[in-house]
Order: sequence, then structure tokens, then C-alpha cells
Amino acid sequence: MSKTINIIKEKRQVTEMAKQRRKTYADIRKQLLQALEEEGKTIPELATSTGLPIEDVTYYLMTMRKFGDVVTGSVDDDDAYFYYELKKK
Amino acid sequence: MPDTTETTNRFDALVIGGGIAGAEAALNLANMGFSVVIVEKDLSLGGKMIHLSKVFPTLDCSACITTPKISETARHPNIKIFTYSEVHDIKKLGENRFTAQIHKKPRYVKEDECTGCEACEKVCPVIVEDQFQFDLVGRKVAYIPFSIANPRVAAIDIENCILCGACEKACLAEAIDFTQEMEIIPIEIKAVVVATGYHLIDPVKLPNYGYSKFKNVVTAMQMERQLVPTRPFNTVLRPKDGKMPENIAYVLCAGSRDETVGNPICSQICCMYSIKQAQLIMGALPMADVTIYYLHIRAFGKGFNEFYLQAKSMGVDFVKGKVAKITEKENGNLIVRYEDVYKGKVKETEHDLVVLANGILANDGISEMFDGVKLETDPFHYVKQIDELANPTRTSIPGVFVAGAASGPMDIPDSILSAGAASSETASYIRRLS
Ligand code: SF4
Ligand code: SF4
Repeated sequence: MSKTINIIKEKRQVTEMAKQRRKTYADIRKQLLQALEEEGKTIPELATSTGLPIEDVTYYLMTMRKFGDVVTGSVDDDDAYFYYELKKK
Repeated sequence: MPDTTETTNRFDALVIGGGIAGAEAALNLANMGFSVVIVEKDLSLGGKMIHLSKVFPTLDCSACITTPKISETARHPNIKIFTYSEVHDIKKLGENRFTAQIHKKPRYVKEDECTGCEACEKVCPVIVEDQFQFDLVGRKVAYIPFSIANPRVAAIDIENCILCGACEKACLAEAIDFTQEMEIIPIEIKAVVVATGYHLIDPVKLPNYGYSKFKNVVTAMQMERQLVPTRPFNTVLRPKDGKMPENIAYVLCAGSRDETVGNPICSQICCMYSIKQAQLIMGALPMADVTIYYLHIRAFGKGFNEFYLQAKSMGVDFVKGKVAKITEKENGNLIVRYEDVYKGKVKETEHDLVVLANGILANDGISEMFDGVKLETDPFHYVKQIDELANPTRTSIPGVFVAGAASGPMDIPDSILSAGAASSETASYIRRLS
């Protein structure tokens, strides 16, 4: 079957915003996956190790959790932040 | 009675809106034997209620009430449903009939073929804010709206699509169809039920509260999502830094009873949903303190005052005071500046999360769906009830009835009651025609 994507490609332009969104997610996902490779980390720890704004870490990490890249671990000693770990595949 | 004419586009009643009021009205009519077409603007039936955690004051699970009713509606042989669709050009044809056009927008997925397997979602490389989690997390551009969506069918958000084709390659059911275009479906009906609900006030329009600037100021719907089993985070957390909050404030009447934002009336539901959420938070985060800043607690319904007293006895702190301003500290905590009405003083208190109980507004644009006949609205843009006491579902157009919050702010039981009344009036109107 020929794919319908080829038909729409002739009619529609991909927006710069959409391209940027793909790139941002791919970049941030890669950074977070790398930062979690060794051990689980809390969101502030991830923000420190990646240098990303903390609200971006929360948003993208929770999105990755939704899509099964990351799982929630235990809570820290102050009962304030959870550790997040890579999902064992 | 079921329409026996040959064309499939003829129905007894058109129900505009597939939320809880629309579903109730449609089901009642269908169970009486009338043919009904529901037109829902969103990708799924269920309206606002399907996204809620529990209902007040019984704390019953909201989805457990909504989903069976929605499935019954979707499966009913007398009901035809158009989701992701809008109604235009409703015209009165003589005394007894209306014509209208349904504009069915392309979702780029064949509804009959999609199995809801999520394969397209998995491979899609683009993330945008998930509107069904009120932007707390992202969703893919190829996506199933939410887990209990009805229909549970994927959609492609074409504006954000990079046209990579990965979803189409991954879809074994061959359900993805990028050639879809807007379909215009003419219909003929005998009566119309307007069940278009309400929309929530955009808190960005309340600049003193810092919503969107301060990530730890959230809306009540964002908190509601954090309290459901399909929540965006693993528990109630601050969106800024993922910290478990210890000291949460509610700001009531955020955009209600407020002339400065053009909404001088009470939204009727915010006091009680805030009290409900406060109780649920105490269950989810037993160590957290919850403070509710209020002007008046309007606990007017059955069991509402007892529900309020229950929250008090659980330790929710009720402070009578108008919140004037919220500012953010470097650690993401928030300073709430308010007038303590009993003490007659302006005070400031620090909280680590603030929830705005943003009120509700009429869904505008309903009158524009009609052509040549005028659907009157009240001064607050809700559908005008022309005989509010004797026949509250009647509108300015004979044959057009209003159900639920399209006529004004109301809670879920009242919406269902109103939809019941609207369906009875619609049924007797159609019977009188024949
Ligand atoms: S569109 Fe295809 S891949 Fe996506 S959920 Fe439906 S059947 Fe699965
Ligand atoms: S074509 Fe669009 S929707 Fe499909 S996978 Fe690519 S970006 Fe996602």
C-alpha cells in the first residue's frame, strides 16, 4: 500500500515550531537518559547535572515517565523529592 | 419515534455537546425511542466530568459514574455520534423542522479501523503539551486523547506534525489516513438540545496571581488531574521542581464575583470542589497543611455544609480573606498577600503550592450556530431561559431546549437533573409535532 503521508507532504509545510519541538524533546530526553545511566536522581539533582532549567526537567522527565522511559523510585531522606530511575528494559 | 424516512441524515433530535448533560439528554431521548445525533467538539465524549477525580459531597469516583453512561450512549442503537465536530447553520424550516450542517474535522485516523493500540504514539518523535493533563506533561503528536477516551481512537495533531510518516509505518491496522479532509454533513432534525457546558476562566487574565509566570501556581483542574489514578506525576507534586508540597493554599473566587474581569457572578462549584480537593490532598499527602482563602463559603446544596464541616474537622484551615497578590520566592515558594477580613489586617503568608479555584464562564459562540433564528442569551452570555420558573429548559426558539451548564453555572447533579428535564420537554415537543 502506498503511504498517505506522501500525499499530505505535497500539500503541507512543516512548521519551524514543530521541527524545534522534535529537536528539543530528542535533546532533553537524551540528556536525562544519560544523567540517569549510573544511578537514580531527584529532579534538583538532574537539573544540576544537566544544567537544564528545573521546570523543564520536571516537565520532560514526567513526560518520559508517562511513555515508560523512567520509573519512580524511593523518596529522599527529607520526604521532599523522589528519585527517578531508568526503566529496566 | 424513530424516523422512518429514507435518508440517514434525518434524526428526531440534535444534541450539541457530548458531556454529562448532553449524554444524559441523548440517552433519555434514545431510550424513549427517538433517534438522536450528538455533536461533540472534542475528540472524546465525557466533557469535563470524565477528567475529574471524585465528585462532591459523596466522594464517589467521577470516572466510574461517567464512563458507563458514556459507553451506553456510544453503544445505543438510536444514537449517532460525531466527535471532533461542530454544528453550523442551524435553520428553522417552517414550524416543525430544523436543518443544520455538521463539520467533521479530520483526525487523520479512520475511526472504524483504529484499534487504540498506541503503536503510532510510541514511535511519534514530537512532544506538545497534553491538554488532557492540563499541560502538566507532554503528549505525542500522534496520540490517544486519554486512557478512558470514548471513542478510544488515535488522532494526529497536524499543526505540530513533522510529517515523518513513522506513525503510518507503525500502524498495522492501516488506520492512519493523511488524506482526510473536513467533511460537511447536512442533517435535518425536529428539535435541538443545547448542552454545550461552560469553559474555565483563563487564569492568565488574573495577573496578580502570577499563573504561568510562577510554575507553582496551578489551576484547580491541574490539581484535579494530580488526584486521579491516571495522574501526570506519581503523586501530588510541584510542577516547578517535583517537590512534594507541604503547605498548599487555595484561592477561591479566582475570576468569579469579580467585576474587574467581567464576571460578577458566583461560579457555584468552586467552593465545593476546593473543599473536596482539600480532603483528597489530606489523603494523598497526610503531612500537608491546606489553607483555603475565601470570601464566603457557599455550601448551599444537599450535604454540602456537612462536607464543609468535615473538611474543617480534618484540619483544613479556612481563612476569610481576599487574596490581592501572589509573589514568588527564589526557592519556588509563594507569598500570598491577603486581607484578613476578621482581623481587619493585610497579611502575608508563605505556601509552597497555590491552587487557583478559577471560576467558569459561558461558552460563547452558541448563538452563532443559528442562522435566521435568534438564540437569546442572558447578560452573562449563557443561553437565556425564557421561562425560568415554569419551564427552565425552554429557550427563545421553539423546539430548542437547553440542558446543564449551558444555561448558567451548576454542579453535576443539577446538570443531570436539567438534562432530564430538557429531554422530557424535547420528547413532548416532538410528540406534539406529530
Ligand atoms: S492509529 Fe493505528 S497505531 Fe495508532 S492507535 Fe490506532 S491502530 Fe494503533
Ligand atoms: S507523521 Fe506526524 S504524527 Fe506521525 S509520527 Fe511523524 S510527527 Fe508523529
